[in-house]
Amino acid sequence: MTTTTAPAALDRAERIDRTGPPLIHAEGVWKIFGPHADRVLGTPDADLPRAELRAKTGCVAAVRDVSFDVWPGEVFVVMGLSGSGKSTLVRTLIRLIEPTAGHITIAGQDVTAASSADLRQLRRHTVSMVFQHFGLLAHRRVIDNVAFGLEVQGVSKAERLARATEVLKLVGLEDSANQFPDQLSGGMQQRVGVARAFVVDPKVMLYDEPFSALDPLIRRDMQDEVCRLQEETGKTMVFITHDLPEALRLGDRIAIMRDGAIVQLGTPEDLVGSPADEYVANFVRDIPRSHVLTLRWIMRPPAPGEEDGPTLDVRTTVKNAISVIAANERPVSAIENGRVVGVVDRDAVLQAIAGEDG
Amino acid sequence: MSTVDEVVGAVPAPVVLEHRPWWRSRAVLSALVVVGMLAGYYAAKGKYGWPAVLEWSSLKTHLDSFQIWLSDQSNETSPNLFFRIVNGISGGLDTLVRWLYDALTKLTWVGTTVVATLFAWRFGGLRAAAFMAGGLASFAAFGLWDESMQTLSLVLAAVALSLAVGLPLGIAAGRSERFDRALTPVLDAMQIIPAFAYLMPVVILFSVGPGAAVITTMIYSVPPAVRIASLGIRGVPSNTVEAAKALGSTGSQLLWKVQLPLARRMLLLAVNQTILFALSMVVIAGLIGGSGLGDPVTNGLNTNPAVAILAGAAIVIMAIMLDRVTEAIAERTDPTRRHLDEAGRRRARMTTIGVLVASAVAIGVGFAANAGDIYTRYTIADWLIARIQSVLDFIADPTTFSFQHITNPLGNFLTQHILLPLDTFLVATPWFVTVAGFVAIAFILSGLRPALVTAAMLGLIGLVGEWQSAMDTASQVLVATAISVALGVLLGVWAAESEKVSRILRPINDILQTLPQLVYVIPFVYLFPISYVPGMIASVLYAFPVVVRLVERGVRDVAPQAVEAAGAFGATRRQVLLKVKIPLARDAIMLGVNQGIIMVLAVVVIAGLASTPGLGYEVVQGLQRNEFGLGVVASIAILALGIALDRVTRGNQGNRRTREDVS
Repeated sequence: MTTTTAPAALDRAERIDRTGPPLIHAEGVWKIFGPHADRVLGTPDADLPRAELRAKTGCVAAVRDVSFDVWPGEVFVVMGLSGSGKSTLVRTLIRLIEPTAGHITIAGQDVTAASSADLRQLRRHTVSMVFQHFGLLAHRRVIDNVAFGLEVQGVSKAERLARATEVLKLVGLEDSANQFPDQLSGGMQQRVGVARAFVVDPKVMLYDEPFSALDPLIRRDMQDEVCRLQEETGKTMVFITHDLPEALRLGDRIAIMRDGAIVQLGTPEDLVGSPADEYVANFVRDIPRSHVLTLRWIMRPPAPGEEDGPTLDVRTTVKNAISVIAANERPVSAIENGRVVGVVDRDAVLQAIAGEDG
Repeated sequence: MSTVDEVVGAVPAPVVLEHRPWWRSRAVLSALVVVGMLAGYYAAKGKYGWPAVLEWSSLKTHLDSFQIWLSDQSNETSPNLFFRIVNGISGGLDTLVRWLYDALTKLTWVGTTVVATLFAWRFGGLRAAAFMAGGLASFAAFGLWDESMQTLSLVLAAVALSLAVGLPLGIAAGRSERFDRALTPVLDAMQIIPAFAYLMPVVILFSVGPGAAVITTMIYSVPPAVRIASLGIRGVPSNTVEAAKALGSTGSQLLWKVQLPLARRMLLLAVNQTILFALSMVVIAGLIGGSGLGDPVTNGLNTNPAVAILAGAAIVIMAIMLDRVTEAIAERTDPTRRHLDEAGRRRARMTTIGVLVASAVAIGVGFAANAGDIYTRYTIADWLIARIQSVLDFIADPTTFSFQHITNPLGNFLTQHILLPLDTFLVATPWFVTVAGFVAIAFILSGLRPALVTAAMLGLIGLVGEWQSAMDTASQVLVATAISVALGVLLGVWAAESEKVSRILRPINDILQTLPQLVYVIPFVYLFPISYVPGMIASVLYAFPVVVRLVERGVRDVAPQAVEAAGAFGATRRQVLLKVKIPLARDAIMLGVNQGIIMVLAVVVIAGLASTPGLGYEVVQGLQRNEFGLGVVASIAILALGIALDRVTRGNQGNRRTREDVS
């Protein structure tokens, strides 16, 4: 065994298409709740800490000057504690909450300038959303709930039921099609929520803390489910969560929000390996570094003659590399695109693991 | 909304409790005002009645001639546009009611009973059908079938129109915060104003008849339709609405596919409440040409009490019947709970067809058997009236124990030692002292603006020349309110503390509030032959359930953390109640006083029908003897008195809602 097979996460990263324009482009997005919120913008007040701003103007800045890009095929996670503005941010993307300022483009369409008809088309065909509290229609059967998005589009009854049945199979709920939401468990209800978002075949799926209302075990299942769907379909996802392990598990890139602003945006390794400030450092302190960091973070340039050891993909996590490194006396070579880019020895691994306590 | 809450919730606004020394507390200051009024009373007893200079004595005559001019105008061969519209409305409403009544008659009593019962069974289930059949059977048994059908058609017309107006408004208010805010004060006014205050204007404009009765009823029954519909739309979970929007629903898709189905149960409860509110106006509608069950009640009140009681019972039965049937329909057809599958749907459709066929057969049989349009056959009316009469005779018999030891002494005590002294006090105290006293109390309890409104309203009462009658009515209202509040606070606190008491009280409260206002008065007219007392007792019965409910909720809603904390410090149950719960529930108690006083006023003036002196009596005189000027003046005084009493007891409502959401 010289080369371990790359884990699923590695494949996923390869599907992100960074060649074209980003699928979602957000620039300078603000949302201020309160009277005359637009007047606050552009004044020095906008930079005040939240409590002071509220005391002074009665306004609450939920989102402040947020910019990011999401590329096709990417899973983009927005993470933050409650009140950090993450749920508001995701709602401004499709203007369920009107942004106070800023510019948003999705799939080449200017969302901020869209007419209400354009916006409706965008919501019907391009973006769909999964909600924390499911938001299912209590008076409709599961299958009618799933078909609702198509019904709103005006798809004929026979066709929308056929497509809803297909998607229900995909999430493993084909037997519950004729039941009503309140007859299902929370996990099953959220599967319906996911199926409902999925059935319109959107380019982007927005998940607003979809699993925080669920039990930990079911949450785990659902995360697997989302990973599987993402792998099978390659959909672009924006995922909101307050749960760091969930963020690290799902996200290609993670934006950490605090008081309405993004404090750090990067890959899971970036956050764990080099937190931008105390706040992020505190967040990631309890995360086992070896689970997140890859060989890239601990490798050193190879000394002459060291390059002929066993090889591992440079994107392998430390945790997964341990067995190989432990079984070999020689340093392991990290390769990228078939080239050796560095070597990792036992000391480096031990240091990385030891660093978890600090 | 959830996102806003999430943001805002992070920074709780500090709660600042006002603190003032005991000698500046509201209670002490108000007591001082009363002492001042007493001093004024003893110093110049009866010397300063409302001065003639400040009275517009010719107002009544002017109003009379205005009314004559109006009726001349509207009776002209070619009246102007305004009168054509007004006449058109009242004519149209008359026709609608008559048409409904004709339809009910054409169905024959067999058809009506079978169709109504099957309809109740199909949508409301067996219990609802039993209520419907039982109710209709008792109308027949009471010998009041025809009157009941007249009332039913009046109620149906008023309810249909109230819903046609109220539901769209309520749905719009449920969807728009701004519209809701604009509508609320109008609805408040429509509900606060005692019916007796707008009876005269309606009659003057629309003249006596079913049309006027429908309009009077609607003024009272539109607000609940609007309010509950709005509440229902607001009650649709916001995340469901948001999800539907996120899927690209248009406004009308959102309304028809999401909001209306999910609010359906509440919308049907709005229908239920509208019916009950409309029914509670039946007796008053009878005064202005509504005919039906209201007639025997008002006519019989002073001449044939047994018939009045029988008709009152029929109204109560109709209220309970319609309440139960519509409530059952609302519950059973709720699509969020019914979970109909395809087979169920098919079964339901078959049942509907069956019901329709059976209805057709029943109507056919009714015709074929020549059942007669209205039920006139075997009734137990005579027997019932005889029984009721014997009970009345027994009660009114001055030789019985209850008369000698309960009703008579109680009535005398209330009248001699509480009511009349208060009345004398209000009337004989110099008018300027009385006005100043009321205004001062309004200022202490409610603030400057309510005080100014109170001053203006009292001035208006004096100006139209109703000072004396208004003080008569005010004294009855104050005494009845004091009793209602004492009873209500006592029972409310008890119910909040004991689940058992709460369970016992709830159905009693429900029944008392369902019953039409005047129905209370009837029995007490005979129990207490002294003219003041029946109206007061009736108004206490009408008002105290509301006080109970508000106080119970207030005490229960006291933050459980505060109660728990007090318990953790070792407070006894009594300490928790007296030092934590009741002080924190003070707002709810004040609100109970405010609501109670308005409800008491509504019933006290209605008691004018039973010849209780005061403003209500003058309105009845105005209606029954065509003294329009007198009636209108009394109506204005009722309205003014209502507003004044409301403002005096309103409390500092504005400052209480300090924690407003920034959104």
